[in-house]
Formats: sequence, structure tokens, C-alpha cells
Amino acid sequence: MTNPLTRVRKKGAVVLLALLCSQGATVLPANAQATLRIGAIPDQNPERLNRRYGQLASELSDSLKVPVRYVPVSNYPAAVSAFRTGSLDLVWFGGLTGIQARLQTPGAQVLAQRAIDAKFNSVFIANTSAGLQPIRSIDGLKSLKGKRFTFGSESSTSGRLMPQHFLAQAGVTPKQFAGGQAGFSGSHDATIALVQSGSYQAGAVSEPVWNVAVKNGKVDPSKVKVIWKTPPFGNYHWVVRPNLDQRFGKGFTTKLQKAILGLTPANERQKTILELFAAKRFISAQDSQYQPIEEVGRQLGKIR
Amino acid sequence: MNRPKPAAPLLTLLPAMALVPVLIVTWTGLHGGGLSIWQQFLSGALHPSLDPDVLHAVWHGLGVTMATALLSWSLSLLFGVLLGSVCADVVWRSWSLPIWPATGLRRGLAIPRAVHELVWGLLLLQVFGLHPYVAVAAIAIPYSALVARIWRDHLDSADHRPLEALISAGVHPLSALMTALNPGMGAVLMSYGGYRLECALRSATLLGVFGLGGLGTELQLTLQSLQFRELWTGLWVLAAVMLLLEQLLRLWRKRSGVGVHGQRRMLLFGTLAIVLGVIGTFWLRLIVPDQFSGLSWIGLEVPSWTQLNLAATELPWYPMILETLGLTVLAAGIAIGLPPVALLLWPSPRWHQCCSIFWACMRWIPPPLMVLLLLLSNRPSLAIGALAIGLHNSGVMGRLLLEGLQQQSGQRQDALRAIGSSERISWLYGLLSPQSPSYLAYGAYRSDVILRETVVVGVIGGSGLGWQLLESLSSFHWAAVVLVLCCYCALTISGEALSDRCRSLWLQS
Repeated sequence: MTNPLTRVRKKGAVVLLALLCSQGATVLPANAQATLRIGAIPDQNPERLNRRYGQLASELSDSLKVPVRYVPVSNYPAAVSAFRTGSLDLVWFGGLTGIQARLQTPGAQVLAQRAIDAKFNSVFIANTSAGLQPIRSIDGLKSLKGKRFTFGSESSTSGRLMPQHFLAQAGVTPKQFAGGQAGFSGSHDATIALVQSGSYQAGAVSEPVWNVAVKNGKVDPSKVKVIWKTPPFGNYHWVVRPNLDQRFGKGFTTKLQKAILGLTPANERQKTILELFAAKRFISAQDSQYQPIEEVGRQLGKIR
Repeated sequence: MNRPKPAAPLLTLLPAMALVPVLIVTWTGLHGGGLSIWQQFLSGALHPSLDPDVLHAVWHGLGVTMATALLSWSLSLLFGVLLGSVCADVVWRSWSLPIWPATGLRRGLAIPRAVHELVWGLLLLQVFGLHPYVAVAAIAIPYSALVARIWRDHLDSADHRPLEALISAGVHPLSALMTALNPGMGAVLMSYGGYRLECALRSATLLGVFGLGGLGTELQLTLQSLQFRELWTGLWVLAAVMLLLEQLLRLWRKRSGVGVHGQRRMLLFGTLAIVLGVIGTFWLRLIVPDQFSGLSWIGLEVPSWTQLNLAATELPWYPMILETLGLTVLAAGIAIGLPPVALLLWPSPRWHQCCSIFWACMRWIPPPLMVLLLLLSNRPSLAIGALAIGLHNSGVMGRLLLEGLQQQSGQRQDALRAIGSSERISWLYGLLSPQSPSYLAYGAYRSDVILRETVVVGVIGGSGLGWQLLESLSSFHWAAVVLVLCCYCALTISGEALSDRCRSLWLQS
């Protein structure tokens, strides 16, 4: 004898089991055409990132005749790991992240950089109420001892690594800041906002970001000012995975490099791309240019 | 003779003491320097960006987030219930087996639970690369363990007399368990399972790490670049989805029936969970088609013993653990203590409605945004971090408390009122007191979550475990990552043992 409930249950159990099995079917690998996946460390607002790399993806797709897709990543170490694991083929890295990525991916090459990246600067900014004077020589950084100080993102070359290096040269360690530690605002824009508000008395930001913020009126000059500009160091660069020639055909890496170096303001779309990168042209770059950053990275424990 | 023990409602209110030091520190550090940015933030609420590109990105992000949330929720319920049943003492006892494997498994499950979704994501990313299922697994793993714990606690604390009767009558243990425990557990599954869907949505939002371009990526990047108008576009969309989901779940819960009807609904719920999981899978495939290459394992060098030893000497253990514990205790105090105190202040329905709206806001604002906003008008301190995490979680606790209170019959309160107690006292002893044990149990689970969430407040200055973890991850210093994760696990396990002891000492008569 079966009552209605048991019947419902039995039917239900069958349906449940069927659905459960159908979940397994979806894991089967999809038919994958070789796609060039480009990525970047997230150092801009997403709208700008999407426009910049979206345009670049269509441009490269047209000139190289392969599908190209921009894959957004939302933090620095994830970009490095995605590159190592082969989820990203071509990535616009910062100085430190680029070196981390190349050390973890034997055979990865530096493809190009912008003119500005060969001589990149950071600026130290301070809230006017903190009573900090403009710094003439590197020793002047000692005046930051005992102040509330913030870096940008943990993996940022211009917002953390090089500023910390210059501070160390002046004999200042993060332990000597107020509270016994430095803050990590997470981004250059946040550093500017937090120093301007006075929550932190001083901070370090990338010079181009600072200049853009000043130009866009996001900085109140009566509240926050630059107290020091660092000596130049190498920064952003394109890094490419070693196996592209096997996946896309012989000489693909060279073609890719030519396509990037060949971007010119004469063409309308290429002009937009270059403008979004704040560059006139891309220029070739050598691994050796990043040697000093690697040493600093090792000293400060950011490269193991 | 019975030992004296504190009354249950007192235990519920006591954690609010954490507010005192936090508010003192916050008050002394207050300044007006961030007002202009606060102004920009608030005006962004009225003028969210309606740029087609932004809208498109948010829409796409919403799809990815929803699909991830649905699939990981479905999986975590499935595995959670299975694991939870396996590590329940009552199940092993029904087969007259020793219960030590259950205890062992339970302790083992603290490990997946101790690690934040974000960190799971980064770890899985190391070995599988960018893949949609990495995001799903990152949520499903800790959530399964969490559901397992709750499921097991409810199984073991249920009334076992019908079960014992059936077993001694010679019924097969499986049938006996199903018959005796199903009705009660069905209700638990439906109310708690629905609530997990909201949590999964929140987590999927927080997880933007996976190159899927989810809503979380949009929120995080717009926040980092202080593009408040674009940030608000994402926030409003998130608010709409959360509100919709909450209303649907409330509707569902209100109509839950009893008896045969209830059994059918439970079956329906199970089917729904799986169907939604399948929908999530297809949805993900539809949105990010070319990322579905097969999953492959990419090796990672395991740190050697000497590397671990070296890392152990380098890490600042004492300040690191102390800061994390301080942050967790203060934040958990605020999260657990604030809701009952707020409700007690003025026990009228209208005020409770205000509280409920306030808590919805707290749940809605992601913790990193809350920290930044607080920090803009305050000096960096541990208190700011505790306040941000505490407030966010008080939103969750407040909702659980209100829901529990609404499900109770008001007879005790009426009785107390009838003998002349004041409104407040009758609320306290009539409504809050019977609700206290289960509220405190949820509070203990929430403390787990809070411990993990200390990862997200690096901006206040780094020396806690969370910051150390992110710093080690970004330096790819695996030896230190392993040690810090072990430390998280140890803290979670000991915290759990402590809360279990306290509950059995104070709450069970």
C-alpha cells in the first residue's frame, strides 16, 4: 500500500537525483579556440581599465588576426598568479609585480614600456597641519619619524616598495611611524584622500597619479602638498608568457611586440589607446632595467 | 547545590560593553578633515553614474556574482548537510558506533572554516589558475564547513527521545533518523539555508579576485579610485538585489507549513536549491564561455621545514596575535551586543522598524568601504577596524535577533506586562530571555566569521594576522602564509572550544 505522500517523495527523489547528475555534465571541457588573454594590475578606476584594455584587445585582435580578450583582475598578487598559471598571456605589470611574475614564470619576457616608465618617480605628500617642511635631501625623510604615515597598495612599486626603500636609506623604518606601523590605504587615490583629510599626516604616491589628481581639482592645495620627489626608478612594463609561439604559431611573440611598439598617434583608435595609457609611444625595454627594483624587493622581503 | 550563573539576557547584553572603549577612542580621534570627501560620497548616492559603459559593466558583474552565489550556495548546502550529518554524535550512536570519528571530523572541519573566502580564492588560484569554479569553490568550501557545524549542532541538540524509541523498537537506524529528526531539521534547513543564500551573495560580492569581473570587482576598484558616482551605481544595484532576495525569503518563511505539508515544502526547498545550482552553472558558462577550459593542477613548491622555521622566527607573533584577538573580541562584542541593546532602548514596533532599516544598511555596505569612510574622519586605530567590522556584522546579528523574536509567541511578555512590569522589563524577560540561547549560539558562529574578516582592514595599519597574511601572499612567501593560516586555524578551534564550554556551563540547565 502506498499513500500519496510516499509517491510524492519517490518522484521527488528521482527528480533530485536526475538534477544532481545533470550538474556533473556541465563540467565537461568546452570547445576552446586559442584566445590571447590580456590583463593588467588594477591601478585605475574600472571604467578606465575597461576602456583601455577593451580598445587594446580589439586593436590587437585586428592586427594579429587572433581572438583577444581582456580579463579583469582585482588585485596585484592575483594578476601575478594568473600569469604564472597561464590564465593570462600578456599583462601590464608594475615594476615589482612584473619581476615577481617573471621570476615565477621562467622564460617570460619583457616586451615594452612607456618612456615615462624608464624614469618613474614617486612623491611624498603631507598634510599642511602636520608641520612638515619640504625635504631637500634624502636625510630629510627623518622628519617623518613619529608621524602617521600611509603607503598605497602592498605590492605597489611607486606607492610602497621604492618609498619604503628611500625611507630605509634615510634610516627610517615603518616601526618608527606613529602607532608603530605604516598604513596601507590600498590605492594612490585613497592615500591622497586620507592625507588630505588629516587622518594620516603623510604618505607616498605615484607622481603621475598625483599630477592627474591636481589637474582634475581633486587636491586641495591648502591642505596637502608635495614635500619630496624621489629619485627615478623603472616601473610599468608589458610581460608576455613564454609559450605563445607554440600556441599561436611561430614568431607570434615578435609580431605581438611589433604590434605594441607600432601603436602610433596617427591612427584614430591607436591614438585613443595611447592616450588612455598616458603615453606617446611604447618603447622597447630590457630585463636589466628592472635589476635595481629586484634588489630592493629582495632587501625588503617582497621577493623571495 | 547549583553554581550561580548569569541570567541569559544579561549574557546577551554584556558584549555591548565593547562599545565603551571603542567609542571613547573613536570620539577622541574624530576630526572634520574628511568632510569634503564624505560630501562627495553622499552626493554620489543621489547622482549615481548612468554612463552606458558603467551600467553594462555593473549588469555583467551582477550576472557573474549572482551565478557564482547560486552555484556555491547550492553546493555548500549539499555538502554542508552531508558533512554535518556525518560529524553528528547522534548519527554514530544510532548505529551503536563509537563517536570519536565524529569528534575528529568536527575538529578537522574547523580548518576550512578558519580561512577567509578571499584567501581560499587566492590559494586555489595558485594551483588552478583563473577559473570560474575557483570562485565557486572559494565560497563553497568554508560555507560547507559552516553549514556542517550548524547542522551538526542542531542535530545533536534536538530532542532525541522519539529516535531512541524507534531504535529500541528495532527500526533500521537510517529510517529511524529520517523519521524522528526530519521534521525539526527541515525547518532549520529552510530558515538557515535561505539565510545562507544572502551570505553567499555577500561573499560573491566581496570576491572580485577571480578575473570574472563580478560586481565585487566593480565595487572594489571604484572604491580604490574614489569614483563615488560609479561606486553608487554598483551599490544601488546590490541594494536592490539584496532587498529583493530578503523579501522573497521572508515570504517563503512566512508560508512554511507543518506536517505533511511541511515535508512537501522541504522537498521543494531541496529541489529548489539544486535547480538554482544548475541554473547558476549554466549562467556562468553563458557569461564567461571562453574561460571554461578544463581544470588542470598547476604545481606549487611546498615550503620546506627550514623555510618554515626561518619564517617562524621572522614573524612578529606576539603583537600579531594580540592585535587580531583584540580586534575580534571588540568587533564581536559590538556585533552581538549592539542589536539587543538597541532594541531594549525603546521597545516599540516603530523603533524596531528603524533598527531593522539601519541593520539592512550595515549589511549592505561592504566592510572595506565602511573602514575607509570611518577612517576619513578619524585617526587610524584598532577601534576603527573593530567598529567597521562590528557594525557590518551587527547588521546580520540584528536581523537574526528580530526574526527570532517575531517567531516567538508573546505570551510571556503579556503575562509579565499583566503583573505590572514596565514595557522594557517585560520585553527583556518575556521576549529576549527565551531567545537568548539560540541568539548567543549564532553569535558564536558569527565570531568565527569576524575572526576571518579581520583580513579586510589592512588600511588601519598593519600588524595583525590578517594584514600579515595579505603581505605574505603578495610577497609569495608561502612559508609565512602556511604559518599564519595555521595560526588562524588554532584560534578558530580554541575559540570554538571556549564558546562550547561557556554555552554548556551557562545556558544549559
